[in-house]
Amino acid sequence: MIKAFKSVLISLGLIVLMTGAFVGRSEVSAQTSHLFRTYKHEVPQKLSETSEAIAEGKKVYEKRCWYCHGIEGKGDGPASKTMFPKPRNFTRNEYKVRSTAAGSVPTDEDLFRIVTSGIEGTAMPFWNTISETERWQVIYYIKTFNEQFKKDTAPKVVSVGSVASTPDSIKRGQELFKEVKCYECHGEDGRGNGPLTVALQTEWNMPYRARDLSKSWNFKGGNATEDIYRTISTGFNETPMGSYLEKLSDEDRWHVAHYVKSLSKDMASDVVVKVKLSESEQLPIEPLDENWGKATPVEVPLAGQILASPRHWAPSIDAVMIRALYNKDEIAFLVEWDDSTNKQEEIFRDAMSLQFPTKIPESLKKPYFAMGDSSGAVNLWSWKAHWSEGFGSIASGAPETEAGAVIEMNAKGFKNIVTQPPESQNVTGKGIYQNGRWKVVMKRTLKTEDAKGDIQFEIGKLIPIAFAVWDGSNSDVAGQKSVSSWYYVSLEKPVPKTVFVYVLIAIVIGASIEMWFVARLRRFPPKLEEGQ
Amino acid sequence: MAKKRSKFLMIWVITAVICLFLFLKYASPKIFQVLMAKDHTMPTPSTLMMWYMIMGILAGLVYATTSNQKFADFLGFLLPGGGPTIKILLQKVLFIGFPVIVGWFVYSWAIPGAASPVELRIQHPTLPQEFEKLENPFRQTDAETQRKCIEEGKILFQTYCRPCHGSKADGNGPFSNSFRLRPINFQDPGTIATVVDNYVFWRIKEGGPGLPSESTPWDSAMPSWKDDLKDDEIWKIIMGEYDTAGVMPRQREKLE
Repeated sequence: MIKAFKSVLISLGLIVLMTGAFVGRSEVSAQTSHLFRTYKHEVPQKLSETSEAIAEGKKVYEKRCWYCHGIEGKGDGPASKTMFPKPRNFTRNEYKVRSTAAGSVPTDEDLFRIVTSGIEGTAMPFWNTISETERWQVIYYIKTFNEQFKKDTAPKVVSVGSVASTPDSIKRGQELFKEVKCYECHGEDGRGNGPLTVALQTEWNMPYRARDLSKSWNFKGGNATEDIYRTISTGFNETPMGSYLEKLSDEDRWHVAHYVKSLSKDMASDVVVKVKLSESEQLPIEPLDENWGKATPVEVPLAGQILASPRHWAPSIDAVMIRALYNKDEIAFLVEWDDSTNKQEEIFRDAMSLQFPTKIPESLKKPYFAMGDSSGAVNLWSWKAHWSEGFGSIASGAPETEAGAVIEMNAKGFKNIVTQPPESQNVTGKGIYQNGRWKVVMKRTLKTEDAKGDIQFEIGKLIPIAFAVWDGSNSDVAGQKSVSSWYYVSLEKPVPKTVFVYVLIAIVIGASIEMWFVARLRRFPPKLEEGQ
Repeated sequence: MAKKRSKFLMIWVITAVICLFLFLKYASPKIFQVLMAKDHTMPTPSTLMMWYMIMGILAGLVYATTSNQKFADFLGFLLPGGGPTIKILLQKVLFIGFPVIVGWFVYSWAIPGAASPVELRIQHPTLPQEFEKLENPFRQTDAETQRKCIEEGKILFQTYCRPCHGSKADGNGPFSNSFRLRPINFQDPGTIATVVDNYVFWRIKEGGPGLPSESTPWDSAMPSWKDDLKDDEIWKIIMGEYDTAGVMPRQREKLE
């Protein structure tokens, strides 16, 4: 009897396992969330600052650092021409990340932390790849470029207390953000679009931009609340970011730090943009439509266009966020990006373009991700801002929002771009600029009559998509743009009703087998022959 | 010694299987994060997870059937009566739970899954013939000239290659996050250290567009530099690149 049960049980177990085997497959390849560095705070035991250490440091410097920072430490190395922000000039006291009062030089430990972790969003790499000894040596050499290091022998270290982050603290921080006029540079939503930002550019000898506080990955010296607190307290030397040590109490600086921390977001990146089926008859055409909240946003990091001359080494837009919805007839995209300097002495128009292959690829083969190639054409949906004052004029008094216009194009490489004829132009769009952020909607029917030049959307397929953004005030035009490589959009299949029938059948079968098994068990209970 | 008998053997086996699942799903990614010193968790791959679970369930069944006594106890749990309230409660949970789990399996199998992109490529395609015969003109020069060439090459590398490949030639330049096919880390001994100078020359000159289709040229962000850099500059960049990365090019085998 027991044997019979054994075999029944084992086969039941195997049935469960085989169904289970299919479950694991629905894992989607999320792009890593660890694209950006984490700043290390620990500093090991200092090396003594001897002339031998400085001489060794000079060797390290002239092997690794001078290409950017210059042989004389003036921040004018030969590689600095393809850089923005520019490398530090060590002969001046432009040190940003410091634990010392404004105008002072940083401590050796401050320098060690930055040499070790580098600075995200700049060309400064993390040098934890060289030995600690070498790092101390090179720091001692760098200090010889500036006499001030000798005078300020014991730089004043700003005390660091702590206040817990609470909703009240954040609210107080928000009030202080207004009171001490942080918004004048950082903007009301912290996107670095304050009215002073652009005005300040000419006063410093380098272009200057207030930090976009919504992008946590770009915070200089780290995005922990302690790092933000330190920056508010000490300021950045030789920048408009001053020290608030005197202007705000210790507690208030913590409140502001908590508020700034609450503004900052990590980049939520993924490889596939999932397009949700919308129940409504009409897809939203307004960028501020609340229905966009139903779509899952995906953020995509952008780089300068470096594939063909003239290359763009210093793009100002480093990410776009995309959402998409579809219904039985149409598909609509909402693309958002931060642009801190819109409409101020704009020379060129802000623009954005979506790129699709003209056909959904059947195999691995796709057109070249940068504007296609001779064997693979792409379909471009190109949106451009416009304003009533006219192209090229200073847009004072221009309205806050602009619709813009969408043009459909086809390309087979950089030099082979064709605008589609008027009868094939079937993408509609609308853009709005608000508080340092562009939000642009583009909409089209899923299928068009121009099957040769237009992408035809199909449900459930992986459709390549790439992005490009132009920032007019950064002189972006034509090939001077921020670009991404190929990503994908996928129109999600709705869950068919039949699935629930399958599930019901499975539950009934499962329950019947179970009942049969238990009934049999009860009828012939497993008995051990005593003394076995 | 009296034989220890457990009326709850079935529950223990099920609990052990659930524990195994929870360990693989939540604990192991954290443990491996610490062990491998990574900044991120290391999720268990889904196929591996499936096989571990199959082994876990089979191990549970094997254990339950090691003796007839045990097996009788194992099944005996399903028999009515003769136990505390907790037993009756657990019995009910089992009776309801089994069909629900079967239903859930079928549901997750039948809903349309999101397709994951497959991006296969060959890293080192064959060097085209016209590049095979080339020689780096500066490798044979005297030490002084070579040193000068390396230095000039490093400056060019830092100017034009650094934005993607990084100051250290480690593939971590400021633009590297933005290209899904990440810029190559030249310090990795599996990259430029395994090829000859000419190969690198070909890659710099022709870039992504010059790749054969098995190496997915459409995803490569490597520019073609033939219009912007002279051949001499490219050879110098190669010398500076190897020096920055701290590796040596592969030497040609001498055919005697």
